[in-house]
Amino acid sequence: MSEKNSRREFIGRVVGLTALGGAAATLVARRASAHAVFQVDPSKCTACDLCRTTCVLPMSAVRAVNEFSKCGYCRLCPAYMDVTSAPDQLGTPSGKVCPQDALKRRVVGREDPDDPNNNYYEYTVDETRCNGCGKCVKACKPPAGNGSLRLEIRYDRCLTCNECSILVACPEAAIVRVAAPGLSPVPAAGAHRG
Amino acid sequence: MDAKEANEKSAPERNANSAQRMSRRLLPLASVVGAFNIVAAGVLGADGEAAPGGPTTAAGPSANLPPAMPGPPLPRTYSRSALIAGPGTACQFRRALAGLALGPRDAIYALGDDEVRVLEPGGRFAHSWKAPAKASCLGVAPDGRVVVGSPGRVDLYDAKGATRIGGFAAGTREKPAEVTALRFVRDEILVADAAAKIIRRYDLRGAELGVIGDRNKTGGFMLPNGSLDFDVDAAGVVHATDTGRHQVTSWTLDGKMVGSFGKFGMTRPEDFVGCCNPVNVAVAPGGDIVTAEKMIARVKVFDRDRALVAVIGPEHFDPMCRHIHVAVDSTGQIVAADPERRTIAVFKRS
Repeated sequence: MSEKNSRREFIGRVVGLTALGGAAATLVARRASAHAVFQVDPSKCTACDLCRTTCVLPMSAVRAVNEFSKCGYCRLCPAYMDVTSAPDQLGTPSGKVCPQDALKRRVVGREDPDDPNNNYYEYTVDETRCNGCGKCVKACKPPAGNGSLRLEIRYDRCLTCNECSILVACPEAAIVRVAAPGLSPVPAAGAHRG
Repeated sequence: MDAKEANEKSAPERNANSAQRMSRRLLPLASVVGAFNIVAAGVLGADGEAAPGGPTTAAGPSANLPPAMPGPPLPRTYSRSALIAGPGTACQFRRALAGLALGPRDAIYALGDDEVRVLEPGGRFAHSWKAPAKASCLGVAPDGRVVVGSPGRVDLYDAKGATRIGGFAAGTREKPAEVTALRFVRDEILVADAAAKIIRRYDLRGAELGVIGDRNKTGGFMLPNGSLDFDVDAAGVVHATDTGRHQVTSWTLDGKMVGSFGKFGMTRPEDFVGCCNPVNVAVAPGGDIVTAEKMIARVKVFDRDRALVAVIGPEHFDPMCRHIHVAVDSTGQIVAADPERRTIAVFKRS
């Protein structure tokens, strides 16, 4: 009798622990999922323009960002200016790469107006104009540039759709879902669900 | 029309998206088959034989490529006379090829795969020794002593390479040197410090004797690509790459600038393309200057009047090269190391 009881107790404990473990795993998985966001893997991204055209938002949640630590602060930035366009009087190409004129630059430190070769320039992205087309990112890729420009999914714009349309479309599998415990999955005010 | 309106997607664009989604679902299978074909074609070549030069890393720079540059024929031509290291040779670098220098009797010193390898001019292996961690460049004295640079450090070896005979920290404690080039000049070692954007002069014990390149408006070279290369001619004049200015600038050892040449341009062959070029430089025994460029991976030869006399074209180099390490031997042959393909080739005037 006592042997039967102990067997029952053992089976009961195993079942109970299994159920508890399963429930805990489910909770952890849901919590992790709730704090996961979509992001672009810059090592895979080819800046193919699908981020701009496939996002469900009217204006894609993807923006270009410049990583200053990698940027060369070039005078002749191939991501800022179309280096094949006609040069001006100072020898600077006159055309720009960004069709939205979203890449802006300013001289770092004191400007040498006589010889622009002596100037370093800081490049920033105007996020109100950038549409994530990636033309600047493509032009900045090595060996032409340092690869400091990359595409990012902006969390305050992204709707964190169950099935991200850019993720589905990306031919390079460069869109990844990553855990982001510190970030709220709720879109910022102003974003709307399509 | 504001920026947002300009970016809103059109109806045909949205319809195209659904078709794209369907095609993406079939992509994995197609890509596996396609990838196999691409790899096979790259390795085997069109007729099934091994592709010369081995597999390359990529098709090339993706944007802003300049148009072809037709022009009058240049007075000199160079052709590849030998492949010293790379596929099909006795010397192969499997992971990296970081530096190149020529030593006594035109021996080739190559830095790669964490070692210094010494090759005879014909390419026969002579000897090798382990290089310091993260070694980035090397230089050879006329007597065969070798100096190897690594982050914040310079190490000195005897002619056989078996014994380390000295070494010192380069740069400052706050800002260690990013050593990208080294040369012996008499009893001094010149160190290109890309972190400080200058060339530092040291004696063999590591005492700093002076600085080259800081006497200009910016207090140093303009180096958007984070690399500085230089060479020293027979008269002791230092010729350095000022990549952001698209120039080669010349300096005396006491830091006075004595000349410069080059400018940005995408169409004329004598100009330097892209954001920052030339990336490497070497001086020939007769005073010619050899430059190497990235974006359009090519090597150029400028005569003593700094007129362009030859171009060794991009067909010889990997299009993804950020550097082509160049040196000129005593007979005027150009030795060029392609770090992407991990090859060393010799180009002879024809």
